[in-house]
Amino acid sequence: MGLEQVYWTLPIVAYPFISGLIAGSFIVGSLSKIFGQKQYEPLAKLSLLVTLAFILFAPVGPLADSRQPSRWWELYTRAHIPEAPMGLFTIIWTTYVIVVIAEIYLAFRAPLHQLSEVTPGWKGRLYHWLTLGSTGMSEMRLRREHKWLVILAGFGIFLAFSFHGYIGFIFGAIKARPLWHNALMMPMFITSAILSGIALMIIVYSIVFRYFSFHRKVDSALVDGLMKIMIWVLLVDLFLDVVDILNSAPVAYTDQATASGFAEIFLHGPLTGAYWIGQLGLLVVALTLALFRGIRTSPLWASVASFAALISIWFMRYNTVIGGQLQPKVSQGVVLYSPALFGRGSMQIVFGLFMFILFVFSLLLMVFPWDDEATKHRLFHSTQLTNHGEQNRSTNKMLEH
Amino acid sequence: MAEDDVHVEQNNARQMGNQESRREFLKQALKVGGVVGIATVIGGPVGAVKALASTETKQNATDGSAINWEGWEDPQLNVNDGWNNWDKILNPDNLPIYHDHFDEIKKVKPKHHWVMVIDLRKCVGCQSCTVACKSENNIPIGYYRTWVDVAEIGSTLQTSLGNTVTANGTYEQQIKIRNIPKLCNHCDNPPCVTVCPVKATFKRADGPVLVDPRLCIGCGTCVNACPYDARYINPISHTADKCTLCVERIDEGLLPACVTTCVGRARIFGDLNDPTSEVSKLLASNPVQVRKPEMGTDPQVFYIGLNGEISTENDPEAENLIYTYTMNTNSTAYQQLAGKSLLK
Ligand code: SF4
Ligand code: SF4
Repeated sequence: MGLEQVYWTLPIVAYPFISGLIAGSFIVGSLSKIFGQKQYEPLAKLSLLVTLAFILFAPVGPLADSRQPSRWWELYTRAHIPEAPMGLFTIIWTTYVIVVIAEIYLAFRAPLHQLSEVTPGWKGRLYHWLTLGSTGMSEMRLRREHKWLVILAGFGIFLAFSFHGYIGFIFGAIKARPLWHNALMMPMFITSAILSGIALMIIVYSIVFRYFSFHRKVDSALVDGLMKIMIWVLLVDLFLDVVDILNSAPVAYTDQATASGFAEIFLHGPLTGAYWIGQLGLLVVALTLALFRGIRTSPLWASVASFAALISIWFMRYNTVIGGQLQPKVSQGVVLYSPALFGRGSMQIVFGLFMFILFVFSLLLMVFPWDDEATKHRLFHSTQLTNHGEQNRSTNKMLEH
Repeated sequence: MAEDDVHVEQNNARQMGNQESRREFLKQALKVGGVVGIATVIGGPVGAVKALASTETKQNATDGSAINWEGWEDPQLNVNDGWNNWDKILNPDNLPIYHDHFDEIKKVKPKHHWVMVIDLRKCVGCQSCTVACKSENNIPIGYYRTWVDVAEIGSTLQTSLGNTVTANGTYEQQIKIRNIPKLCNHCDNPPCVTVCPVKATFKRADGPVLVDPRLCIGCGTCVNACPYDARYINPISHTADKCTLCVERIDEGLLPACVTTCVGRARIFGDLNDPTSEVSKLLASNPVQVRKPEMGTDPQVFYIGLNGEISTENDPEAENLIYTYTMNTNSTAYQQLAGKSLLK
C-alpha cells in the first residue's frame, strides 16, 4: 500500500472523453450511408476526418498516464485477451484505426484522383500518392467502392459500440471500486459517447462550413436534424443517469459500500458540484435549449447547447474516473485529490493532447477534399481551363498545317 | 452577354478571394495550433521527466537530508548470486504460472501451497513486520507491502462509576484496540492478475502472486483492481509492486522476513499441502476468517480472531482506525484530525 491515492489521473479522464467523440462522430458520419438519411451527406466526409484526428490520439491518454509507456509494444506481443479489458481494447482500437483509414481511402479516392489530374505541382503528386496510385474511375468500380464503404461503415458502427462499451467495461470490471463496479457502466458510456459525438459534429459542422466551406453556408435544416437526434440521446442519457442514481444512492437499494461511497463523494463530498451541476445540470440545460426550434435552427445557439452537452460529458468522465477512486479501499475518510497544473497526469498534458488533435484535424482539412461543392467547383473550373488548352493546341495544330 | 461575363468574372474573383482568405485563415489556425500543441506536448514530457527525476534516486528523510534508494537499477547485492536475473528471482524452478483460469492450478498438482495464518490474538501492533519488510525488500519511503492497521473499537461513556475522572464528569472507556496486520492475500482468484493487459503479473502454481517488473507498463489497472489496496506503483521502478511472500527467501527454504521478525509469533507461514505443517494444524483447529470474503477473491492469508467488528466503513461507531505512520494521511479523515498542519 502507498498512501491511498488517485492512480488514474486526468489523461484517463480524457481517454473515454476522446473515445466517446470518436464513436459518436463516426456514427453521425454513417447516418447517410447506413440509415439512408441522405440529408446528412455533407457530414459524411467531414466526420470521417474528425474521427481519424481523434482516434489517432485515443491511446495517448492511457499511455501518458502509465509509468512505462515506452513498453507499449507489449500490448501487442503479450496481449492478454480476452480476459483483460484493456488488452481487448488494444485490439479493438487497432481494428478501428484500420477501418477508419480504409473508409477514408474509399470515400476520398475518387475525388482525390480527379483532383490529382488537374492540380499541378507537389499538391497533385500528394493527391496522387494518397490514392495509392489507383486511377480507375469506371462506373462499376465506383459502385463497388460505395458498397464497401457501406459495409465498412456498418462494421465501424459495431466497432464504435464495442470500442466505447469496452472502455465502460474497463471500469465496470473493477469490483474493488464499488462506484465503478456497475452494470450500467457500459450503456452509460455508449450513450454519452453518441451524445458527445453528435454535439461535437454540430459544433465542427457549424464552424467548418461557416468559415471554410465553398459556400460558407451552414444548412440550418441539417443542424436542426442533428439537434433532434441529440434530444433523444439526451433523454436516454438522462434516463440512465436517473437509473444510476436510484441504483447507487439510496442505502435501501444498494450495498453499503456503494451507498456510502456515493454519499460521501457525490452527495456531500468533493464532487457534489461536479455531479449535480456539472454533469446533470448541464445535461438538463442542453436538453432545455434543444427543445426550442429557434435554438435548434440557429447554428450559433445549437453550438452553445452542444457545448453544454460536451462539458457535461467531460464532467461525467471526471466523476466516473476520479470519483470512483476517491473512495478509500482500506482506510477512512475520502481520498484527497486536486488535478495538477503541470507535469505527469496534469491539465497541461490534456490541453496539449487536445491542441495536437486540433492540429492534426486542421492538417487533414487542408489535405482532403471534404467539401464536395469546392471539389466540384475546382474540377469544373479546371476542365474549362483544360478545354481551353486543348482548343489552343488544336488551333496551334491547325496553324501548323 | 458582356454584362453577364463581367458578372461571372466578378463572381469568380470573389470566390478566389474567399478561397485566398480561407487559406490564410487555415494557415494561421494551423500555425497557432501546431506551435501550441507541439510546445505543450514537448513541454509535458519534459515537465514529467523533471518531476520523475526529482523522485527518482533520492527521497528526503524527515531531517531533509537525501536518502539514496538501493534500487534494482543499482543493487548493492552480489550480482553473481543471481540478483540481476529476474527469472531466477521470481521463478527459479520454472513452475507453471497463470494469468487467468486459476482453477487449473489444481490440475498440475503443485508440490507446495504457501499460505500465511495471522493469529490476531497474538499481535501486539509493534510494526516490526512493516520495518522488516521495508528493509528486506528495499521499499521506497511512503509505500508499504505490509502494514499493521490499529483500530479502536467501542466508545467512551459518561457514567457515574467510570474510572476516568475529569472536571467535566466521570467516564468509562469501553474500548478495545485491535491490531490487524495487512498484506497481499495472494488470492487464489486474484482480480489484479486477470486485468493486466500485458500479462506482467501472474500467479505461480505454488501460490505467490508476483509482478515481473521487466514487462509491466505501469498502467495501474491492477492497483485499482486489488480490493485490499495491496499494490502500489513503485516510484523508483515505475512498475506495479506488491508483497512477494519474500519469494526469493521461501524458494531457498527460509521464512518471509515479516514472519521471522514477528515478536508475538502472530504470523505463521507454511505449506497447506503438508498436513503436518503448523498452518495446516492451525487451520484445522481454529475458526479462521479472511478479509472481504464477499469479493470472491479467495484470499490465502487467513486470520484467527478477525470478527465482524472490523470493517473499513466510515463508521466511527463501528471502528476507528488510529493514525500510525502507515495509515493513509492523504484523506479528509486525517485533515479533520488537524493533520493538515502536521503534514506541513
Ligand atoms: S490481495 Fe490484492 S494484490 Fe494480492 S492477490 Fe489479492 S487482489 Fe491481488
Ligand atoms: S500496472 Fe503492470 S502489472 Fe499492473 S496491470 Fe498494469 S501492466 Fe499489469
